[in-house]
Amino acid sequence: MIAFEHVGKRYGGRFEALAHLDFRVERGEMVFLTGHSGAGKSSLLRLIMRLEKPSRGRVMVAGHDIAQLHASQVPFYRRQIGVVFQDHQLLFDRSVFHNVSLPLEIQGIEPRETARRVRAALDKVGLLHREKALPVELSGGEQQRVGIARAVVNKPSLLLADEPTGNLDPQLSADIMALFEDFNRIGTTVMIASHDLALIARLRHRILRLREGRLVADEGAV
Amino acid sequence: MKPSTTPRRPRGAAPKTPKTKSKATPSRQEPPKRRGANSQQARFSSRLRAWGRHHRAMSWDSFYRLVRHPVGNLLTMLAIAIALVLPAALWLTLDSARLLDAELDESATLTVYLQPAVDPAQAERIEQAVSAEQAVLDTRMISAEQGMAEFQRSLGLDDALAGLDDNPLPASIVVRPQDVEPAAMQQLASTLEALAGVDEVRVDLAWVERLRHLAALGRRVALALGVLFGLGVLLVVGNTIRLAVESRRREIEVVMLIGATHAFVRRPFLYSGAWYGLGGGFLALGLLGLGNHWLSLPVAALAASYGASFSLPQLDMTGATILLSCSTLLGWLGAWLAVTRHLTSIRPR
Repeated sequence: MIAFEHVGKRYGGRFEALAHLDFRVERGEMVFLTGHSGAGKSSLLRLIMRLEKPSRGRVMVAGHDIAQLHASQVPFYRRQIGVVFQDHQLLFDRSVFHNVSLPLEIQGIEPRETARRVRAALDKVGLLHREKALPVELSGGEQQRVGIARAVVNKPSLLLADEPTGNLDPQLSADIMALFEDFNRIGTTVMIASHDLALIARLRHRILRLREGRLVADEGAV
Repeated sequence: MKPSTTPRRPRGAAPKTPKTKSKATPSRQEPPKRRGANSQQARFSSRLRAWGRHHRAMSWDSFYRLVRHPVGNLLTMLAIAIALVLPAALWLTLDSARLLDAELDESATLTVYLQPAVDPAQAERIEQAVSAEQAVLDTRMISAEQGMAEFQRSLGLDDALAGLDDNPLPASIVVRPQDVEPAAMQQLASTLEALAGVDEVRVDLAWVERLRHLAALGRRVALALGVLFGLGVLLVVGNTIRLAVESRRREIEVVMLIGATHAFVRRPFLYSGAWYGLGGGFLALGLLGLGNHWLSLPVAALAASYGASFSLPQLDMTGATILLSCSTLLGWLGAWLAVTRHLTSIRPR
């Protein structure tokens, strides 16, 4: 699903955020990406989302070198990836329902179908009863679950998450991770950046460990 | 405010829930790759419908955004209206000048002077020959005596002319041509000059020509002003839309993160621009009407003092439609320029 081939990323010519990255993530895998803050986790995810292009090497997703995508194709590529952000990236002037329906709106899915899928996604994250609420009325954990619902409403084959449990207490964090495992179980490839080592050690999935932009360990690969 | 949240509790409250859920579940069991491919291959017609739906949604959405902040948006529209009024007023003035021009054309004539030796019976025949010409609308005979009488009346030289032994003026025929274009009139003149018994044909076109040149000049000035003020409208709308884009920057970043195309992001702003333009156009129409009303009384009084009746030109249906579509188009274009320029600076974080 994802293959990094000798990938390096520099910012502003000098600062090397990522270097010599070589790894593959198979379809249907669930992978944790860990390391101290500044180790390059977010940069790596940004490369996969094609928010940035690598300075060196190739990033292959579903068999395509995504650096080759024309700017006009990038939106369509992003629609195939669900992304959960640490800061949720919700729109605060829209209800939970409309936040989750945004990806479907963008794709021009029919309203009835949209409503059906949004409710299914909200039901999955246990927030169906809050569909009319505004994000500010929700707790941090609930906001994160809305973010997850938005990421999966499109039924993406690849789900990325950047510190999805960043500000949550251990119990909520475990719940969120359990959700990701559910999605993984139905075939979604999941990649989660997290520095919550205790939590991810318990979950027994593959762990990619980054330090100063380099891959220093690849544990538990299948 | 609302009761806090264990996910299960209020489920029973929503009657829709069970149905939605049972429908949703089977589709979730499909393999994930397929789903992506299916949604990609949405049929053309359904994509077209989706496109139309988004257009409808965004046109209303941008309209509501306008209505929600009436004062600020009204000021923007007023600025657009003011920029539109001046060229529109000038255009109207030209339009009325063109009307005037047409009236002048009606009085554009040729004068056929007959040879002094021609007697009234011959003159009659010549007039018939002139009337027979295709290019002639109608004719009026002025006999030598009538000509003398008119001459005396207009100059007040009764005594001086009374001293003359015989009438030095020839009989003449005033001809109204079908076509008042200078070239056509010249051609008609040379045709008539060739008739037997005709001494000379006079075409006095200089002042008609002058008026034409003046009208052409006016048209160019109006065009230049129109372009300048059109640019003004672009700037007004562009600046307003630039601020709107800035204030919705976060939203734009988010939708771009989840795969919105530039066209999708641009759409609501283009509609805002078009609404601004349309609103400005209507205000401009209102201002023109107001100006017309304001000026009509003194203009009528002035015209009456010249013994004429003249009313200020009004924008007709066609003119109003043109004004409104131009302003809408300008608003749309201003928004397009502003958003397109601005989007390149917005990169999702």
